[in-house]
Formats: sequence, structure tokens, C-alpha cells
Amino acid sequence: MRMSSVILRTAVRFILPLTFLYAAYAALKGHNGPGGGFIAGLIASVGLCTYRMSYGDRAFHRLLPIHPRWLMFVGLGLAAGVAALPMLFGQPLLRSASTTLHLGGADVHLVSATAFDLGVLLVVVGVAVGMISRLGEELDP
Amino acid sequence: MSSVVTAAPYLILAAVCAPALSGLATMLLGGSRRLPRLTLATAGPVASVALLAIHLGRHGVSPADTPTGTIPWVPSLQLDISFLVDGLGAFFALLIAGMGVVVVLYARAYFGPDDASLARFFPTLGFFTSAMLGVVLADHLLLTVLFWELTAISSFLLIGWDRDDADAGKRAMQAFFTTGLGGLALLGGILLFGGHTGIWRWSHLIAEATTISHDGTVIAAFVLIFVGAATKSAQWPLHDWLPGAMKAPTPVSAYLHSATMVKAGVFLLGRMLPAFGALALWLPLLVSIGAVTMLLGAVLALGQSDLKRIFAYTTVSHLGLLVAMYGMGGASTAEGLMAIDWDLTQIASHALYKAPLFLVVGALAHLIGARRLPELFGLWHRPGTDTKVVAVVLLLSGYALAGGPGTVSFVAKELFFATTTHAAGLHPLLAVVGVMAMAAAACNVAIFVRLATTVLGSSTGVRDGSAVPEPDAHGVDRWAFMLWAPAAALIALQYLGGLVPSLWNRTFRGIEVNVNDGAFANGLPWAWEPFLHPGMPLLMSMVAIGVGAALGFSGWMRRDLVDVHARIWPASYRGIVQGGHRLFHSVQTGHVRHYLAVVFGVLTLCIGWAAWADPAMLRPPAGMAPLEYPTGLLLGAVVCTTAIALPMVTERVVRVLVLGASGFAVVGLYLVYQAPDLALTQLMFEIISVILFLLVLRLLPRPDRRPRIRVLPRLALASVVGITIGWMTLIAGHAADSRADDTPTLGAFFEAHSLQGSELTDGRGGEGRNVVNVILVDFRGFDTLGEITVLATAALGVWSMLPGRRRHREEEDVRVPTGQGTQP
Repeated sequence: MRMSSVILRTAVRFILPLTFLYAAYAALKGHNGPGGGFIAGLIASVGLCTYRMSYGDRAFHRLLPIHPRWLMFVGLGLAAGVAALPMLFGQPLLRSASTTLHLGGADVHLVSATAFDLGVLLVVVGVAVGMISRLGEELDP
Repeated sequence: MSSVVTAAPYLILAAVCAPALSGLATMLLGGSRRLPRLTLATAGPVASVALLAIHLGRHGVSPADTPTGTIPWVPSLQLDISFLVDGLGAFFALLIAGMGVVVVLYARAYFGPDDASLARFFPTLGFFTSAMLGVVLADHLLLTVLFWELTAISSFLLIGWDRDDADAGKRAMQAFFTTGLGGLALLGGILLFGGHTGIWRWSHLIAEATTISHDGTVIAAFVLIFVGAATKSAQWPLHDWLPGAMKAPTPVSAYLHSATMVKAGVFLLGRMLPAFGALALWLPLLVSIGAVTMLLGAVLALGQSDLKRIFAYTTVSHLGLLVAMYGMGGASTAEGLMAIDWDLTQIASHALYKAPLFLVVGALAHLIGARRLPELFGLWHRPGTDTKVVAVVLLLSGYALAGGPGTVSFVAKELFFATTTHAAGLHPLLAVVGVMAMAAAACNVAIFVRLATTVLGSSTGVRDGSAVPEPDAHGVDRWAFMLWAPAAALIALQYLGGLVPSLWNRTFRGIEVNVNDGAFANGLPWAWEPFLHPGMPLLMSMVAIGVGAALGFSGWMRRDLVDVHARIWPASYRGIVQGGHRLFHSVQTGHVRHYLAVVFGVLTLCIGWAAWADPAMLRPPAGMAPLEYPTGLLLGAVVCTTAIALPMVTERVVRVLVLGASGFAVVGLYLVYQAPDLALTQLMFEIISVILFLLVLRLLPRPDRRPRIRVLPRLALASVVGITIGWMTLIAGHAADSRADDTPTLGAFFEAHSLQGSELTDGRGGEGRNVVNVILVDFRGFDTLGEITVLATAALGVWSMLPGRRRHREEEDVRVPTGQGTQP
């Protein structure tokens, strides 16, 4: 399934990095502002799907040389790992931990839940992109 | 209850597992290494016997209320592994393990040079032996159920042994279905009883026997457990599976269907007797079912010509006798003296003649190919040493079946007659059971007389014109003597115990719990003693023998009898399958619209029911300000318009776009009501779902014609569902406002704790200002983990149903590009 319009193709070149940037922002900022892993995953998926629609399957494969399911596996593993990690220290499942780093003048507040959120992000991207590109393959000649 | 962890439970656990482990180990031996295979398979039950003997030597026979120590298993369910090695359990365990050794050796000769069968047989048999040992030794009620079901599974595998015989498969299913149904009843009864009384152990149950109240729940639980026991022990009217199970190879018939598995039900009744024997229902229920089974089985046995079926029906008859015996155990607790005596001897005597009979029948099928009684005519006069020996063992076993003087079963029969006389003294109606027992005994005697006259070729023997068929296909080899040696050894014990009762007494007096009649307090009598002190039991025995002999020599009752109960299973099977078929097709139509109608209809009905129960739900919530945001109203109107337009549009792609428009209007609504997270999510989701829908719709085949639909019912259902759900959403959204008291709501709790903790959360907060996200990854993190797992599983499903084309593409890449992909 392709939409070969020059305008779209040119625009996507600029849109794709921007969506990634915004997805990363939403994922990392999510704990305190609007955003979160799920939203960020959907944003990134929309960007990737637009790219695939305008440039085609092969170009998309060059951009993401692995099957999207690997994103899903890694994401699920990350989320489950972060969830299970506290159990090693005798804490209940999913107990979150936080720390504050002093980098120069700025304080950066790190919460373990952010890693969990990144796992969610990867799963969402893997599932959405994987299913859409798989169905898209069916329509390719 | 002892909670001290000792070596004892591990010892018993090892004894229980040994046969299964050694059976599995034989699978590691490949090819035709018969002797190592046999040695290994024998080692399992031998180890069980040895371990049990060590345990008994160390601790002796424990009282029924003292289990071994426990091995923790699932502490949260109070389920742990502990065993009860009392007289009943120890006796059954030794019987099972001992017979296990015998059957393994016999199977070697039975299957002969057939390596494939042996390789398959030993693991299955070991599995069964272990399961059976578990049933009789378990202390925890649920542990008993667990092993009980394992015996059902392994027995299914063994009955359906012959994979090429469709009938064997059906019979296996019948047995599994019948006993499995009983197993479910047993589980239900145990859960009911345990949940009601809090007693989950046999030992505890026996210790508390006198304090258990006889209320309705306990009686219902007892009846359910009895159903489990009765189906396993082939009691009327569900006994038909046992003769059917004779499709199994003879070692299986000898082991499962005469000596061990069918006695599991009887065993269970023995376990229950101390606790439930005082129930008013115990005696009438057990005695009536048992007595009917006893007489029916005996009469039907007389009317069979297939040897295995004859002995199957006599087994049914004897199982009925045992159930009736335990039933009469509830007779006289008021007088302090129970009408039950030497029950284990009764069980052992049956195993010690029925197993040899089956073993000999298998031997006959191998040696001369005879499977029916008429084919045995003149067996004694045929050439061959093996044949002669087998004939002798057959007649000796048959004599024990008849309960002739000199055997243990003669004494056992005397004991049962004594029990009925004793019970008849307590209640005159029980005299009927005595008469029925005499009739059943007479049938057994008649069977022996026919067997003997036929084998010896006498003129009153059974014969017909049929030619003697060819011997079994398995063939025999130098192990052929094992066809009759185990039977000879077992039947020798019958006569040893019968002629030298002091040996028997020394073995059994220690484990027999129910020794109530003064006459037997010192042990079983010598063979001639009943004749020196004649009484009612001896008179009954003599009448039975006289009538039986007359019946056996006469020409009466020589025609084949058909058991009407054999129709129950096929009829119910047909009913279940056809009924299920019909039900399936009326519920599973294959049309999504039907399923949706059912789902939405049920949902609306549930909500309607709730509104009927609480009419406050129908009142419009207070504090609504619909005109506060005109933009919101406008967007709502867009949502409604697109929703109404949706069914009017016929083109699929347009429909998807209209649906998308509706979704984007919802995004606007979220923005108006200041929910940026939801708006962003909805926006992205709408984009992706529109893409997905378009892709899928292009892949779907175009419908040839529009299906004719009835508009009105759909419109009605859609309106009702829409209005109901909309109303529910409305009052749910205002639920917090209309709250009369000031109990904190969940929303308020999350809002308060998303950043900082309080004493409610032990000072822990979510460390985030975005409440929605903190809920997702912290408060409800486990839900999120589950959701992404579901998502991943669904995606895996899609990929596995639509296998990828990547390989094709890579092949294409090798060729010259066609210019389709990369140029604008």
C-alpha cells in the first residue's frame, strides 16, 4: 500500500525525526506532564507507518532492518524485568524506586517506572508497526 | 495432627512414586533388551513393597487418626503431602504393590516376544500402580482426589490398549466417563464437606468422627462421595463399564479390574466407615445398592459364555458384597458392636482367587486360543504339560470362587454370612440381604460346577459346535511358564490361608481394625472348626453349595443373558453427543450480528435488572450543566451525526472515514474538557485504527450482494443499547458528585497520592505529577503489564495466522529492481 506523492514523501523526511523526538519527549516527560509510554508508542507508530506508506516496504526495511516483533519482545522483557526486579530485593512486584541526580545545576529525578514505560512504548510500536506492515505486505503486488 | 517433619513421609512418597519412576525408566531402554526392561519394571513395585515394609517395621501400623509427618506443598491451600499408613491403607498398599510385581512378570510372558507392546505397557502400568498407591495412602482429602483421577486416566489408557480396535476405544471412554463422573462427584463431596466442616484430612476426620454434626450439608457430601466410590467399584446401575473393560489385555483385567482399581471405591467406604458409619443414610444406601449389585452380578455371570465376562460379572457381584458388608458396618453402633468383621480378609480373599482366574484365562487364550467356556470342553484330556498345569490352577481357583471348604474364601463367606445373621438380629429386614447373599453364593458354586464339568469333559459340561480357534497372536517363548506360575503362587496363598489359618491370623490380625464378633476375636477358625460348632452361617453356606451344585449340573440357566444396563451408556452417549450438536448449532450460528445481539441484549438486561432493583438509577443526576461549554455541545452533535450516518453509508471505505470523523470529534471533546492525555491517545489511536481498517477492508472479499436485513429489530436493539450505555455513562460520571457522605473516592485517592505518599500508602507516592500516567505505571502497573502481554499475544496470533513473506522479498531483492519501489 503506497501513496506516492512528492509532497508527502518530502514532508515525511522532516516529520519522521520530529515524531521520534516528540515520542521520546512524551515518554520521558510522561510521569509529570501529558504523555506516557503508551502515547509515545502510538506517536512513533504513526510516524513509522506514514513513512512506510510513502516510501514503500523496502525503504522501510532499510530503516528498521529487524522484524518489529523484536521490538515487542524487548519491550515486554524490559517491562517484565523492571516489574520483577524488586522481588530480588524482597520487595513486592512492581515496587518503584526513584533517585535524584545532580547534574551541574539541574536536578534530574529518575523513577524506575520510566523504564517500565519504555517497555510499554516498545511493545506498542512493535505491535502496531508489525501488524500494519504485515497487512500492508498482503496488498503489495 | 503432627507437624513434625520426619523421614516417614519421604519414605512413603518414595514408595508411591517408585513404580511410575521405574516404568518411565524402562522407556530409556531401546530395542529388544527384554531382560533389563523386565528387571527395571519389576524393581519399581518391589521397591514399593520394601519401602512399605521398612516403614511398617519402624513405626508399625499406625492408628487411623495418626498420619505420617507432612511435606509442605501448597501451604496457602493447606494442601500438603502426608500419608496415612493405618491397617486399611497398609493392607491395600501391600496388595497393590505385590500384585504389581506379579502382573509385571505375567505381562512379560503374556506379550511374549512383542517388544513394542512391552515397551508401551510397563510405563503405563507403573503410572497406574503409583496412582493407586497414592489413593490408598493419601491422608489429605484432595490428595486422594488427585490420585483418584490419575487412576482414571491410566486405566483409560490401559483399557483402550488395542489401538486398532474401535470397540476397545469406546469401552475405554465408557469406563473413563463413568468413573470420571464419579470422580467429579467425589471432588464435589469433598469440597462440600471440607468447606463446611474445615476438615481436610482422613486422620482428622476419623479423630473428630463423633463430633461431626449430621446436618444436610454433611449428608449431601456423603452421598456425593458415595457416588464416586460406587462408580469406581462398578455398583448397580452403573456397573456396565466393568464387563466392558474386559477389552483390555488380560494382565490389565487381572490387575485393575479384579484386584486393585475397582476396589478403590470399597477402600473409600472403609475409610469413611468410622466417620460416616453413624449416618442414618449409611446403612440403607450402601446395603441396598450393594445387595442388588451382588445378586445381579452373580446371576448375570451365570448367563455368560465368554470367560472374561463371566469373571467380570462375578467381580461386580463381589464388589456388591463388599459394599453391602461396609454398609452393615453402620448397623449397630448403638449397641457398641458393629456388624462387620475381618473386612480386609474379605477383600484379600477375593483378590487371591479372582486375579489367578484372570491370569489363567489369559494363559488359556495364549496356549489353546480358548476364550469362551464351551471351547474349554475336555481341556483336561488335551496333550501338553502346560495345558494340564493351567487346568489344575483354573480348577483350584474356581473352587475358591465357589467358596469351598479349605480356602480362605470359604471362611470369608462364613464371615459375611455371620455378618448378615448378626445384622438381621438388629433389623429383621436385613435378613433379605442374607437370602440374597445365599443366592449369589449359589450362583458362584454353579459357575464352578459348570467350569469343572466342562474342563473334565463330563456329559453335563458346557459345549457347543464351535471349533477351537487359533491361539493368540502374541505368541509364547521360553517365559511361557510365567503364564501360570503367578496364578499358581497366588492361589497357593488361598489354600495356605484356608488350611493353616494361624499363619493368616498372624499376618492379618495386626491390621484388621474391625474385629467385633466374639467368635472371631482370636482369629479365623481352622477349616474343620465351623463343622464342629455348626450355626446359622454354616447352614447358609451348605444351602448355597447344595443349591449351587444342583443348578450347575442341571440344564437351567444355560442361555446367554443380556444385561439391560448395557443400554444405559450407548443411549446416554448418543443423547449427549446429539444434544450437544444441536445446542452448539443453535448457539454458535457463525454470524457476528447474532453474537453481538446476545452480548448487548444480556448487558442491557443486566443493567435493566439493576435499575429495577434500585430505581434511583433512573433519576437524572444533579449538578448537570449542559450549556457550560457550547463547543462541547457542538462536538457532541458531530459525534451523533456521524453515528447516525454510519449505517446509512453503504461503501465500506466511506464508513471507515465516517467512523474516523466520529473519533476525531471525540478527540475534540477531550480537549474541550481538558484531558490532554486522553486527547493525544485518542488522536493517535484514531489515525492508526483508520489505517488498519482500510488495510483490512481492502483485503476482505467484496460481498456479492447485500444481505437482506430486518431494519426494525436492529434499530430497536441499537437504540435500547445506546440509550442504556449512554445513561450509565452519564450517571457514572456524576456518581462522585451525588455522593451523600464524604467517603473518599478512588479518583481522589489517586490524585492525592500520585506525587507524595501519606500514611495510607506507608508514605510512598507515585513520584509523578501526571496522575493518569502514575496510575498506568504504578498504581495499576500490574494491569498494564497484563495488557501489554495480551497485546503481544494478539500480535503473535496475527503473525502466525499470516505467515510473513519476508523470504519472498529477499529473493526478489536479488533480482534486478523493477523500479516500482524506490522511484517517485
